[in-house]
Amino acid sequence: MRLTKTLTLLLGGAALLASAAASGAQGSYTIGVSNTVQGNGWREEMVCAIKAQALASGKVAKLNIAHRNTDAAGQSEDIRNLISAKVNAIVVNPADPAGIKDALAEATKAGIVVVAVDQAVTEPSAYIISNNQEQYAYLGAKWLFEQIGGKGSVVYMRGAAGASADSDRDKGFKKALAEFPDVKVAQEVFTGWQQDQGKQQILDYIATGVPFDGIWTSGIDNVIVDALVESQSTLVPVVGADNAGFVGQLNSVEGLKGAAVTNPGSIGGAGVTLALQILDGQKPAQQTVLVEPSLWENVTDAGKEQLKAAADPSLSPEWPVSISIPDWTTYTKEQIVACKGPGE
Amino acid sequence: MSRFLRNNGWVTGLFALLILLFIATKIIQPSYGQGDFTSLVRAVLPYAFAVAAQTVVVIAGGIDLSVAAMMALTSVTAASMMAGASEEYALFVVPFVLAMGLVLGAINGILIVVSRVPDIVVTLATLFILQGAALLVLDAPGGGAAEWLRGLILGTLPIPGLPESITGWIPNALVLLVVALCTVWIPLRRSRLGLSIYAIGSSDLAAFRSGVPVARTKIIAYALAGLFGAMGGLSLTMSTGIGAPIPGPYLLASVAAVVLGGVALGGGRGGLLGPIVAVFVLRLVRTDLTLLAIDPNVTAIVEGSIMVAVVMFGAYITMRSRSS
Repeated sequence: MRLTKTLTLLLGGAALLASAAASGAQGSYTIGVSNTVQGNGWREEMVCAIKAQALASGKVAKLNIAHRNTDAAGQSEDIRNLISAKVNAIVVNPADPAGIKDALAEATKAGIVVVAVDQAVTEPSAYIISNNQEQYAYLGAKWLFEQIGGKGSVVYMRGAAGASADSDRDKGFKKALAEFPDVKVAQEVFTGWQQDQGKQQILDYIATGVPFDGIWTSGIDNVIVDALVESQSTLVPVVGADNAGFVGQLNSVEGLKGAAVTNPGSIGGAGVTLALQILDGQKPAQQTVLVEPSLWENVTDAGKEQLKAAADPSLSPEWPVSISIPDWTTYTKEQIVACKGPGE
Repeated sequence: MSRFLRNNGWVTGLFALLILLFIATKIIQPSYGQGDFTSLVRAVLPYAFAVAAQTVVVIAGGIDLSVAAMMALTSVTAASMMAGASEEYALFVVPFVLAMGLVLGAINGILIVVSRVPDIVVTLATLFILQGAALLVLDAPGGGAAEWLRGLILGTLPIPGLPESITGWIPNALVLLVVALCTVWIPLRRSRLGLSIYAIGSSDLAAFRSGVPVARTKIIAYALAGLFGAMGGLSLTMSTGIGAPIPGPYLLASVAAVVLGGVALGGGRGGLLGPIVAVFVLRLVRTDLTLLAIDPNVTAIVEGSIMVAVVMFGAYITMRSRSS
């Protein structure tokens, strides 16, 4: 008797949830999103760009976002759940280029448009729109090595061990290193793209007293400058990404020489635009679209101008300042900062 | 029948919950069917092996924090050995990796028994060691897997004489899971060794006084956990076709499913079926949350709340039935 009661209650609850889900739909497209790093400023900006672009396009009725910390197997699970949810397109930031191949192939087979953003995937049916990660590292490393006069030792602060964006950047860094035979890597560490970890690592290294001439970071940058300033050690040139906090430091910290290389998190919004174009029948000429990075330094006057124009103290310090990509995103700054998708 | 229900009340309750969830899923997404169920089982696989590993150790009165790292190490080992190798070579890789898990698990057990350092400390240390070793084997995700091995978890099992509408609900991944777990668990449960594992989990002093070789049993329990961990690592390589050196979210998930599955964290009580059903419940909840497009920052809270609610509800029922 009691069991039947519980049963009815649970079933009623499920029906209620189902009707709540159905009421949000207003026709047109449903877009699924799969992301596997949570709580990282760059990835959060990417998700907000996806939401803002979906809203600004006016073509998306609902976003279905699977956003959690997991591995390639977990991402395959999320993608298959999105297939079950019958979305029209999936925008995915892959945990691994090859590890989710089967799930992506199943999605394409089910008639879903798959767009990988930020990093490439090996599944040939998927479209890719990505920042050029190898070029990102090459540009910054080359500038740094020139800045220290082509010789000396640098601290190499990488991203997460095993991540494909990190291994692509490593290729670019090594390419630049090969061009400067007198530059040595004094210390190589993985920050895991975590602010606290990166700061601890540079403080530990400063404490050893071994001199170094420059620091290359994979985007964990403003805390490194903080550490140099706080420990009153020599302000060596620092290369980072275009995160709001670091760009602000390049403009304001006395005696700091450095460069920010763009790596827009708004690539997520570009992914939505590409997916909608394909859904509307406009396929791109190539399967892969690369967004090239640019470098802003504070050594020349022209560079200083660029940095001044780019600075945006109203953003969270971990957010990249390049919050839009020309031709690919149409939302306003208010929309991405609000971080609201259709129906929210 | 009523005796079976009384003895297996928790598992029966979990099954009921699972069936309710399937009904709810069907209401949320009327097209939910055979293909989606196959996807669910493939998602369950690595979690199921992780939870099997944790279950054996918890029943023996310990805890294994190195489960996820063990899976990562065995997965990258399998993937790097199979990369570019012939299909037949995988016939050697599979038993090699399973043996490796067994040995590494046994080392966990030996360290605990010999050093007398608590399980939680030793396995925390091995977590870091195995994680580092995984990065030595492959510093970035890569490697490969034999096609026949990957095929084992694809599609469904055709049974002659049965129509597609029934066999469509028997994914090969489920068959593999059941066969792999039963091959180890059923003989174990029926043997003296199995009884000893429960005995040392209940009270190692009482077990010792009854003539149970406590140290040996504990080492074997950890070795079996290593074996299940290696199966989990292989299942990761099978489902992704690569090995990834950074451990996935399997450690906490394994502890969660053990608790939800009715295994006492103090040891000595519970079985394997409960935790496995619990894994299905947890994965299906994740599916439903995705189908409902719930705000992703809320889903983790929902998953956690459901777990606490179920465990508390179970404890309440157990207390009531005891007092009556």
